[in-house]
Amino acid sequence: MSGQRAQLSRRGFLGGSLLFVAGTAIGCTSSPTGGSSSGAKTTLNVWSHAYGEAGTQQALTRYAAEFTKANPDIAVKVTWVPGDYTAKLNASLLTDAAPDVFEHGDFTQGLARRGQVAALDAEYGSVKDDFNQTGRDGVTVDGKLYGVKMIDDVMMLYYRKSVLAKAGIAPPTTFDALVAAAKALTTKKTKGLFVGNDGVGEMPALSLLSNGGELVADGKIGFAAPQAVEAVSALKRFHDDKSLLLGFTTDWWDPSAFVQGVAPIQWSGLWAMPAIEKALGDDFGILPWPAFKAGGTPVVRVGGWTSCVNAKGKNVDAAKKFVKWLWIDQTKLQQDWSESYGFHVPPRKSVAATAAKLSKGTAKEAVELAAKYGRINPNTWDSASGTPFVAAASKIVTGQGDAAALLADAAKQAQLAVDKQLS
Amino acid sequence: MNATTHTAPRSERAGRPADTPRGPARARRRRFDWRTWGAFALLTAPMLIGLGVFKYIAIGWSFLLSLSDAQGTIALGDWVGLDNYRQLLGDAVFRNSLSKILLFTLFIVPITFAASLGLALLVNRIRRGRAVLRTAFLIPAAVSYVAASLVWKMSLFSGMPAGIANMLGGWFGMEAVPWLQAGDPPLYWIALVTLRLWLQVGFYMVLFLAGLQAIPKEVYEAAALDGATGLRLLRRITLPMLRNTSVAVLMLMFIAAFQAFDEFYNLFGGGMSGSGTAPVKTPLMYLHDTAMGAQNYGLGSAGSFVLTALIVGVTLIQGRITGFGKSEE
Repeated sequence: MSGQRAQLSRRGFLGGSLLFVAGTAIGCTSSPTGGSSSGAKTTLNVWSHAYGEAGTQQALTRYAAEFTKANPDIAVKVTWVPGDYTAKLNASLLTDAAPDVFEHGDFTQGLARRGQVAALDAEYGSVKDDFNQTGRDGVTVDGKLYGVKMIDDVMMLYYRKSVLAKAGIAPPTTFDALVAAAKALTTKKTKGLFVGNDGVGEMPALSLLSNGGELVADGKIGFAAPQAVEAVSALKRFHDDKSLLLGFTTDWWDPSAFVQGVAPIQWSGLWAMPAIEKALGDDFGILPWPAFKAGGTPVVRVGGWTSCVNAKGKNVDAAKKFVKWLWIDQTKLQQDWSESYGFHVPPRKSVAATAAKLSKGTAKEAVELAAKYGRINPNTWDSASGTPFVAAASKIVTGQGDAAALLADAAKQAQLAVDKQLS
Repeated sequence: MNATTHTAPRSERAGRPADTPRGPARARRRRFDWRTWGAFALLTAPMLIGLGVFKYIAIGWSFLLSLSDAQGTIALGDWVGLDNYRQLLGDAVFRNSLSKILLFTLFIVPITFAASLGLALLVNRIRRGRAVLRTAFLIPAAVSYVAASLVWKMSLFSGMPAGIANMLGGWFGMEAVPWLQAGDPPLYWIALVTLRLWLQVGFYMVLFLAGLQAIPKEVYEAAALDGATGLRLLRRITLPMLRNTSVAVLMLMFIAAFQAFDEFYNLFGGGMSGSGTAPVKTPLMYLHDTAMGAQNYGLGSAGSFVLTALIVGVTLIQGRITGFGKSEE
């Protein structure tokens, strides 16, 4: 009796488990988002990093909805990715759940050479020449265009006019003046300059470029050259003076430190200007990173985001259609994206010319600075070459080791990465 | 065959009278065995298949990846032999990360061990409010590394004069210092070590408490009759009786230390320059940068095997020392 009952309950258990598994399987196969796009044959998965400015996510979702209205057979699902966007994107690109369309900050050649992104020359068509030179150069690999620049992000120094005036300091136009100003503006409660919580930020590259150096040119790493060593070593002066703001709650791309008066000079982007204007009115000005010394040039960094089509995705044609529709055809939406939230410069000349908010005041100044001194990272420069460089710079500015030797070692590593990318 | 002869008597004992004739019993036995194996296979299959697919195939694949040039893809085929291992061990950053993690381990493991054992002994002794204290010490173990890192980074060890560490220092006339940035002296270790202690000590304390409560009272009573008290009781009775617990705890601590990632990544990360400027880079951070940042999955896989070898090696050595030696620590 007892044996039989045990067998029965075992069978019951098995049956129950099978039912449970079956139920779960059925429950999981009915996708919760499936219902929204009735009638659409394909659903495009579009990835975007989480922009900080309010309204951006809604805007992108709105563009996607408008696209589906114009192309009823293609639904678009926008995925807004907070946190470490690049790592998540790279991991996802290996899987079936990879996005069909994704944006990429600072496009790198590797993406195209590894066959991860599709060429878009046909989509550009005759509009190609309307994109500015840097926008085209950045995405060109072996003569083909592998992405569409969505926005140019201009990065420069912001300074508080009133604070500098009170201290009797003129806006610094040389590196020495910047070091001196940062030192003079450092008090018990505030620091003179904010370039990033790690005390390094983008300074090494800026300093090097402002001294006539190159990160990488024609496939050769240039950051171990003598003028690069000189420019990077000089950054130690900020650390010796203890004039850099370190360990603030938000990093340099957020204007909080500047707005709250914790640092009267901060490296940040044009995107932050609306927030700064709102908080400080006209009590701020902008400057390029100053020339390292006589003979050098001031530098403004131009970054930005590029829209790419996943070449290994299942809906390449639909994805191309979406990218063409939004970032090539819809000039109105491009303008909205550039200036309605944070400020960005539209990479298309015709759109930039009609951008009302960028054609007045300090924003206009920034656009002019970008045209005059703007530098983009070459598309051979990626994280594999960038990481050894900033690691070496970080050691140099905190006085751990010989600058020339550290940079030479880092250059060897970076050169390996560049060679591998180009091979 | 062995299995059948072993299981047979048990099933007989369970269901049948002992005097069943031999012949038919055999036949029934064979049929029954088939069913046992069937049930065994059915019940363990989900778990074994899961392990196989999600662990062993993945590990095997990763090993093959470590022998191939896999950039931006996890497809195999471009074999390069041991090139990835050669490049990895030739990279000063990776070697440096290994030596840093060894140092970190040598430092953090004894401290965590002593602190959690000490706390367990104290909590075990008190009569009143033991449950409250135990819970109070255990709660941090339920906090995620990420959340704790953010509290440490933005509140306790913020570089601002308003940061709690700087505020405390300010009362004694210290000037505000950036705790988490590279510098001399390397103050960031204070944040790293305190964070890990806060998160882990409670958990290991509970393991030790369980071990302490498993020691029979009679042993203490006998020792007390022999006149052992205080420190002697601890050294001669408590610690030896805790040896199995200690060995297990030590092993967990070693593995946890070698796999350190979360707090390093979160305390030092957040800059656009990735973790390049982090003053200490653990092997896992290096591998994260290599695989997830630069998409070099071949090199990343090779690194994970080097790290695994290191962990296995240390665990074996530790097992040998604590398992066979006459250790009373």
